[in-house]
Order: sequence, then structure tokens, then C-alpha cells
Amino acid sequence: MMSCRKSCNPEKQTESKRSTESACSRRSFLKTAVAGTGLLAGGCGSGMSGTAEKMHLNWQEYFKGNYRLMTPTEKEATVSRLERLAKIKYKLDVQISTREPVQQVLFGYAFNISRCEGYMDCVAACVKENNLDRKSQTQYVRIFELEHGRMDIASGNGKYFHEVPVADHFYMGVQCFHCESAPCIKACPTKATWREPDGIVVVDYDWCIGCRYCMAACPYWGRRFNWHDPDVPLGELTRKQHYLGNRLRRRGVMEKCTFCIQRTREGRLPACADACPTGSRVFGNLLDPDSEIRYVLKHKKVFRMKEELGTDPKFWYFSD
Amino acid sequence: MKKNRNSEKMMKVCLSLTSLILLLFLGACREHTGHDGVTDRIKAAETKPSDQIQIDSVPLPPAKSIRAQMSYQGGLFWVEARKEKIGRFQCSQCHGNQLARIDQAVELAHGDIVNRHGAENKRLACKTCHDDQDRNFLTSAAGEKIDFDHGYQLCGQCHFRQKQDWIGGAHGKRIGYWAGKRTLLNCTACHNPHAPKFAKRWPTTFSPPLNQ
Repeated sequence: MMSCRKSCNPEKQTESKRSTESACSRRSFLKTAVAGTGLLAGGCGSGMSGTAEKMHLNWQEYFKGNYRLMTPTEKEATVSRLERLAKIKYKLDVQISTREPVQQVLFGYAFNISRCEGYMDCVAACVKENNLDRKSQTQYVRIFELEHGRMDIASGNGKYFHEVPVADHFYMGVQCFHCESAPCIKACPTKATWREPDGIVVVDYDWCIGCRYCMAACPYWGRRFNWHDPDVPLGELTRKQHYLGNRLRRRGVMEKCTFCIQRTREGRLPACADACPTGSRVFGNLLDPDSEIRYVLKHKKVFRMKEELGTDPKFWYFSD
Repeated sequence: MKKNRNSEKMMKVCLSLTSLILLLFLGACREHTGHDGVTDRIKAAETKPSDQIQIDSVPLPPAKSIRAQMSYQGGLFWVEARKEKIGRFQCSQCHGNQLARIDQAVELAHGDIVNRHGAENKRLACKTCHDDQDRNFLTSAAGEKIDFDHGYQLCGQCHFRQKQDWIGGAHGKRIGYWAGKRTLLNCTACHNPHAPKFAKRWPTTFSPPLNQ
């Protein structure tokens, strides 16, 4: 996989370079035209003003490639542009990381349905960590309240708001399951979503065209669509971001749980697992036989949702 | 004879065809279930990753933790230190050699403690867990002193299943990091030892209807 990527990338890039060189006259014309207007707007000599700089950066952003085909320098360039744009727009210093997956790591998640009490601390933590749009009340995690003995999620109540836990009920959290054989990836017409080597299914927000095919393909309702430009209180904005994670999404693109890629690639727990007051959420490396997640898989009765579909999710439910 | 031979040939052709189809079908099935699906990848990963996973951003165990007096499947682990979180530690400041005889001392000093540990009409006595002689320590059923930082040793006497799960990783929580030195929360970080059952409360937030 890695070797293929290494060997394939330069080829593709040279290819794309060649194609841009041959069919670039219109682009270069436009580029110079815009730069010219930018200079005019910014006044001569004294460098670019805020709006002109923003236009210039946005212009360059518009022509960048798919994240997977970017060279490290291209990644660095786009990150610095995005950080600068955030500075201009929100007057905030954000750090956007492009940290690569850790070798020999495959992330997995387990959820204890006999421990969860339905407090929804995880939901709140996720909204805050991932800079989710407050206006549309987007949430990646949903907790269903089910009667004892019921196993069909459709009979659950996903919008409860009363004192919890309720007697004779249990709680079941649902989010993106990061399937190994993910239908959303297969459905994407622009290859804007893929599975990273550490198992996280990610979206390139700048490559997504917002067709929502993936949303229709996902049997778990794991994906969310941005109906608005992000509406996040600036004081609550998480500034430590990842290119494939919690950076601010534009209107009209898909997003979803990324196992908090900005945290987990640094060795930290995802925000939901960190916030859980009952310890119902277990997260770890599936390739490490000593990890907690492997202990759960080995010693507990586990099941996965809609396993018969063959999506091979990396999210298990278990009970004590 | 000729007819027989012909039919034999036909049979052979038929057999080989069916076996071919069967093989193809099996192959397709194999591909469908994916021999590098998650379960197979997990089963293949029998040994700890050869080069120990090193992530530069993961710190050593937090300073306020202490090495557990036991090990888990992956070796040593650490637990959160609890003593400094106890408001009036050391207990011997009041509970010295002499018996404290102050009016309403119990209400003043420990009025916040409500004993809801154990069955409704059979609550545990203070002495069940607290060392009668040396108040800076807990005591096991066998009368051995247990440090407040190693409270899990005490809880595990009765709640041995939970302790087993806690050691393995199916109960309780790691602090902050999935990687690096494994550091767990102590039992009393989440459970009030005097009233261990989680209280009913309102959820932190709510979810809007899906069809909105």
C-alpha cells in the first residue's frame, strides 16, 4: 500500500503537470488577470491589502489538488494558506496539522451498552472538539434509548430529553463506524473520501462536491451535510485542527466523525471517549494484542451493527 | 460402446464445468467476505508491533499517577493518585492517637458523606474499608493496610469481576491517551465510594430530530 503510494504519486503528479502545462493558457491568463486586479485593489508597491490577499489565497486554494496526491510541500503550502485565511476571516491563530498515520496502528472502538447511562457528555464534547455547526445543530454522535430486550435501533428513541437513566432501558451510541469495506467510499464520484492506513475514513473537504451520494450509501446514517457556513462561537473554537479533521468546513460539503483524527494521531483519546463519565467507550489499536480494545474483543460478547451487510465496521458493541 | 464413451465424456465435461463454477463461486465468496477484513487483520496481529509504537506527542505517565501494584496483559500500568484529591488528607491530623471528642464533629467534618454503599438495609460500616487504627489507610478484609492511592485493591475484594475488567480494559477509563504508558483512573475517580451508584441526572445536551 505504502510502497504503491510512494511509487505512484510522482507519476501522477508529473502527469497532471504535463496536462496543466498543455492546457494551462486559460488558467495562467486568469491567474495573471486576477493578480493584476488584486494589485490594483491593493495599491501599488506596498503589498497586498486584506481583501486582495484573501482573494489571492482563495484563488490558489481553488486550484489545489486532492489531499492524497499532494506532495509534502504542497500540503505545507495549503496549510499555511488555510491558517492565514482563518486569521484574516476570524482573527484567530489556528494550527492545521497534516500528521501522517502511525505505522502498525489500526483504530478500533468498542461501546459498552450495559454501562452507558445516556448522559450525552460525549455528544457535547464532540460538538465542541470538532467545531460542528451550531446553527443546524449538527452532531456526529447520537445516543438511542432502547427498551431492554430490543435490539433493533429503529425502535430506539434518538431524541430523548429527560432524566437518565430510565429504568428498564439501555443506551446505544451511534456514529461513523469507519468500515473497512465502506459503502460511502465506493459511492463517492470524486474520490473525496477514502480510508487512511490507520483505518480512519476521512473526507477531503476541498475535494468534495456535496453530491451526498455517500450519505445515501451509508447504512448507519453516519454522514452529515453542511447546510450552512460554519457557525461556531469563536471563543469555543478548537484551534488545534487537522486537515482531514476538525478544521472549519465550507457550506455544501460532507463531514462526519473522524475518530478525532487531530487527537488520535497524537496518541490522545477521541473527545467522546475522553468525555464519557461512565467509561463506556473503549478506543485503541486493533493491531496491538495487549490493547484494551483487543481485551474487549477477546473476553466480551461483542456484536457490530448490521454486520450482515458486510461493511466490516471497526466499531463493536459489548456488554459486561 | 460409442454411446457409452460419449456419455462418459459428457459426464466428465459436466463435472469439470460444475467444479469450475463452484471454484469461481467460492473465490467470489472469499473475495466478498474479504480475507483482509478487520477480523482477519486482528487475528493476524498476534504479537505486539515489533517496533514499539512511539508517538512524540505522548507524554510519560502524568506526574500525579502511581504505578499499580499489579500488571495487565501488556505489563505494568499506572493509576491516578488519589490522596491529594481527598480534601482533608492526612486523616491523622484529627484522628490521632487520642479519640476526638468534639460536639457535632461528625456532622461538621463529614456531614457531606451519605452512606449508600451496600444493600438498602445492610449498608457497609465505616470500618469495613477504613483502618480503625491508622486512619491514613484503608483496610482489607484480611486486616491489611491499603494505601488510598491503591483503593482498587480494596474495591476488588467484592467487585472482583469489575476489577478484572478494569485491569484488562473493559471497565473504567484511561487518562487522556490511548498510546504510551497506560494510566487508568482509580475506582474513586468516577464512583463515590460512599454512594457508588451513578445518580440520575439530565443529559448534558439533546439531539434534534433527524428529519429536521
